[in-house]
Amino acid sequence: MNEVLAHLHDVSIGYDTPLIENINVEISEGDVIAILGPSGIGKTTLLRTISGLIRPLSGEIELAIPSRGGLGYIPQRLGLVGNLSVRANVSMGARVRTSRWWPAVFPLPKAFEEDITKAMRHLGIEELADQPVRILSGGQQRRVATARTVAQQPKLVLADEFLGELDDDNVEVVMNTVRATIRAHNSALIMVEHHEELAREVANRIWRIKDGKLIEEVVD
Amino acid sequence: MSRKLIGVVTVTSLLALFIFNDMVGDWGRLSGGWDNLVIFFNESLWPPDWSVLEAQSYPVCDQEVEFFCSVAWLGMVDTLKIAFVATALGFVFALPLSVLAANNLSPLWMAIPARVVLAAMRSLPSIIWAVLFMIIFDVGTLAGIFAMTFYTVGYLGKLQFESIEGLKNAPLEAAKAMGMTRAETAWHVALPESANHLLSHLMFMFEYNVRHGTVIGLVGAGGIGLYINTYLKLTQYDKVVALLIVIFIVVVLIDFLSMVIRSTVTEEGDVRRPSWSTIFLPASISSKYHTTPMKKHSSDEDE
Repeated sequence: MNEVLAHLHDVSIGYDTPLIENINVEISEGDVIAILGPSGIGKTTLLRTISGLIRPLSGEIELAIPSRGGLGYIPQRLGLVGNLSVRANVSMGARVRTSRWWPAVFPLPKAFEEDITKAMRHLGIEELADQPVRILSGGQQRRVATARTVAQQPKLVLADEFLGELDDDNVEVVMNTVRATIRAHNSALIMVEHHEELAREVANRIWRIKDGKLIEEVVD
Repeated sequence: MSRKLIGVVTVTSLLALFIFNDMVGDWGRLSGGWDNLVIFFNESLWPPDWSVLEAQSYPVCDQEVEFFCSVAWLGMVDTLKIAFVATALGFVFALPLSVLAANNLSPLWMAIPARVVLAAMRSLPSIIWAVLFMIIFDVGTLAGIFAMTFYTVGYLGKLQFESIEGLKNAPLEAAKAMGMTRAETAWHVALPESANHLLSHLMFMFEYNVRHGTVIGLVGAGGIGLYINTYLKLTQYDKVVALLIVIFIVVVLIDFLSMVIRSTVTEEGDVRRPSWSTIFLPASISSKYHTTPMKKHSSDEDE
């Protein structure tokens, strides 16, 4: 039986005025959810609300995941530290698996270092480990952001258009790695996607945003 | 330029001229000023007395090269030492304070007291700090170091927290969503992301402290300023000019050194690295002679 990881009760989201109202959904282990809808309709705001970066206008979000390291977030702009190496960026994911009392200036335990190397290898960026992220191409940076989340091993991954800028081969590499991570750790993925075909191919649930409402569609 | 802007600039300029005129009062007394300056320059300032580059008669010089026993060398080295120690110590204390003062890393109840401390340290110029510390530690280098360290903490701390607050949101938001602690976010995200600015501020502060070291030396806090003060009292202005030229050369060298160091960390430095031979040229010309640019990974490699 798959455990429920998050529950949204009558949630309305937005900034000053609501963008999406009365959201009632559950997210369970193993779910791969794609959010579809035109630009500016509230898809990113929904991810940011679930991640806790902004508060819902009303309603309640229950998360059954650890507050530290339980949630992986790949924002549209990836959120990488350009001046740091690929390895240092990926290791940030592993760092939140340590206790919050583990000093920030201490290096990570060896077992974590192996996970970091493995994550980079799966995404084909091991050779770039010592390169500063700022000199990488957009596609390579996307793989670094994904590797950071893989090294984190979160229970719930929120990804905002993280497959954009990738060609077909790289979409397959990234999706296979993310799926393997979800399977291995019984996690769930919520992704904002613009390409409906791709979304239907990779997701087992679709949330379509229309007229300020979230409508769940069945994937054939 | 809009009419409104032209109007504001004109009114402000006229107001400034009016106040200036009011402050000067009698313009007639300025009539002989230029002639006085020319006479003073020819009789007292020029040519500089380069004996400041020769060994002092006492104590006896035990160096092979006499220059190393000269007033210029001893004074400048002292000033550089004071500036270096003050900048390094100031940086160590300013860094944690700037993290606490940045409102994108710390809550308001932490940021406001940190900002008050930084403002208090910078509200007194280093020359006033020097006078205060001379009362505690007596005349000399120690008072100079403490004075400049205090001012450095206040000034550098402000520059740094403003840099941190200007960071892009995405890396900080990703760190927050992942559950990183404030210390982790500061150490692994904010500081590396603002490293270019921090280094730039650090080099600026060192250069500032070298220049200012000469000023606080004037009140007896050690360094080359102490010698300048002595020569001023003895009306040996030609020696003062010689020392000022030495200071100018050292400050220019530090400025160039700062440019080279900063170019190794800035993004522009990946493709444009200045060299000593081209550093005097305008950027548009010198870039043609820069060393081979570091190649960006082509997006064609994987996409």
